[in-house]
Amino acid sequence: MRQRRRDILIVGGAATLLPLLPLRAVGEETAGSVVGLLGQCAVDRGGQGHPMPLKLGDAVSITDTIEVPPDGKLKLRMRDGSVISLASGTRLTIAAYQIDASGQRQNAALSLAQGLLRAVVAPVDHPSTFEVSTAVGTAGVRSTDWFIAAQPGATQVGVLEGSVVLRSAATAHFVLIPARWGARVEAGLDPVPARTWSPAEFQAVISRTDVP
Amino acid sequence: MAVRCLAVAIGIAGASGPAGAYTASGDRNFPATLILPQLAPGDELYLNYNMLPLSGSGAGAVSRSTNFTVVYGKTITDNLGIFLEETYTGDAVGGAGTLWGWQNQTASIKYLAVNNLDHEFIMTLGLDRETGGTGAVRVGASSSGATTPQLYFGKGMGDLDIGYLRPFAITTFSAVTLADTAPRRDVVSNGFAVEYSIPYLQSKVRSFDLPAPIDHLTPITEVLFTSPVGRSYGSRSTALIAPGVSYAGEGWEFAVEAQLPATRATGNGIGVTAQLHIALDFFFSDTIGKPLFSNP
Repeated sequence: MRQRRRDILIVGGAATLLPLLPLRAVGEETAGSVVGLLGQCAVDRGGQGHPMPLKLGDAVSITDTIEVPPDGKLKLRMRDGSVISLASGTRLTIAAYQIDASGQRQNAALSLAQGLLRAVVAPVDHPSTFEVSTAVGTAGVRSTDWFIAAQPGATQVGVLEGSVVLRSAATAHFVLIPARWGARVEAGLDPVPARTWSPAEFQAVISRTDVP
Repeated sequence: MAVRCLAVAIGIAGASGPAGAYTASGDRNFPATLILPQLAPGDELYLNYNMLPLSGSGAGAVSRSTNFTVVYGKTITDNLGIFLEETYTGDAVGGAGTLWGWQNQTASIKYLAVNNLDHEFIMTLGLDRETGGTGAVRVGASSSGATTPQLYFGKGMGDLDIGYLRPFAITTFSAVTLADTAPRRDVVSNGFAVEYSIPYLQSKVRSFDLPAPIDHLTPITEVLFTSPVGRSYGSRSTALIAPGVSYAGEGWEFAVEAQLPATRATGNGIGVTAQLHIALDFFFSDTIGKPLFSNP
C-alpha cells in the first residue's frame, strides 16, 4: 500500500513538473533581449515564417530571425553582456548563443543575411567564439567593438577596438583586421587586404547603428 | 667630382626617400616602394638597404655607394604626418677603401589632400627639409641644406572595366630640391612606379587559388629621373630603373629590386635595394600606431 502511494506521488509529481521542463529548455535558449528600438522591428521565432512585432524588453532566442525595417534600428543586450546594434534594413538570425553557468559566453554564431550590425563583444576569461557569417564570409572576433555589413555579393568589416578575422567562404583565405582598420570580401574571392579606415567611414557605420 | 655629385643627387632623390608607399585607397593597397618616396603619411617604420656601383674610377673616385636608411613615419592627424630619416653611407673610394658616415638629417611633412576610395585615387602634398652640415662630408653630405616641395599621385585601375588589368596601379612623384646655398645645385626629380598586385587580383578580380608566396606578391618597377636646374656645377641628369617584387605579410612588407642605371652618370653596373617595412598602425593600432589627433 505504501509502495503504491509512493508510486502515485512520483507519477503525480512528474506529471506536475513535466510541463515545466520545456519552458526551462526554452529559457536556456534565450540569447538576449531588446534594449533599444526604433520602427517596426520584428522577429520570426524559429524560422516559422510568421514575424511578430518586437518591443522593448522582449527576449530573442536561438534560431530567431530578427528583421529591421528600412526606417528602423534595434539594439540587443545579449546574456553575456555583449551589445549588438542593428542598422535599418538588417536581417539577422541567431544560430547559436551558448552561455555557461557563470554567464560567460561559450560560443556565439550569428547569420547576417543583409544589412549592418555593430557588436560590442563582452570579454570572457576562457576560450570562446563569436562569429558572424554572411553569404560570402565569416568574421570571428575576440573582445572587440566592430561592424559587419552584408551587401549584395560582398561583406565589409570595420574594427574600432580589438581584432577580427575575416574569412572568405569560397577560398577559406583570411585577413586579420586590427583596431581602426577594415577589410572586405567579395563573393568567390579572397579577402581584400586590410587597410586603415578613415574617421568618415567609421562615422558612417556608427550613425547607422546608433540606436537612441 | 661630377660623378660624386651625381651619386649624392641620387642619394637626395632616392636614398633620402626610400620609404615606400604603403597607402590604401578603397580596396587598393599601394605597396611600399624603395626608390620613390612614400605616397602618403602613415605610422610606419622602414629599413632600407641600397647599393649601387658608380662610374668613378681611379684614386679618390667613388666606385660603389652603399646606404642603410631608417625612416620613421608618424601621423599627426589622419591626413597629416611627419617623417624622420637617417642614412648611413659607405662609399668605396679608389685607393682609400670604404669611407663611412651619416648623410644629412632630413625631415618631411606630408598632407593627404585627396583620397577617393571609389576611384582608388590619391594626391599628396609634401615638403622635405634637409639640414645642411649634419652629415659627413666624406660621404657626400652637403654643408648646404635644401628644401623640397613634393607632389604625389596614386591611381589604381580597379574602377575600370579592364578585366585582368585591374590589378595595375601607378604612382608618380615630382619634386624640386631647392638648395640653400651654392655650390649645391637645385634638382628636379620625377619618378613613377608601375605595379601589378596579385593580392588585388585574388581579392577583386578572380581567385586562382595561387600558392604562397605568389598570392602575396606585387611585381613592381620604379623609375626615377633627376635633372639639375639653373647652374649645374657639373651635375648631369640621371635615370634609374628598378624592377623588383614586393611581398606583403600581415602588417609588414619585404621588397627587393634591382637598380639599373639608364645613363653612365647614374651608375656603372647593376645595383640592388631591399626594404623591410613595418606597419606600426597594424601592430600598435591603439598606441603609437594611431594619429596623435584622431576621431574616433
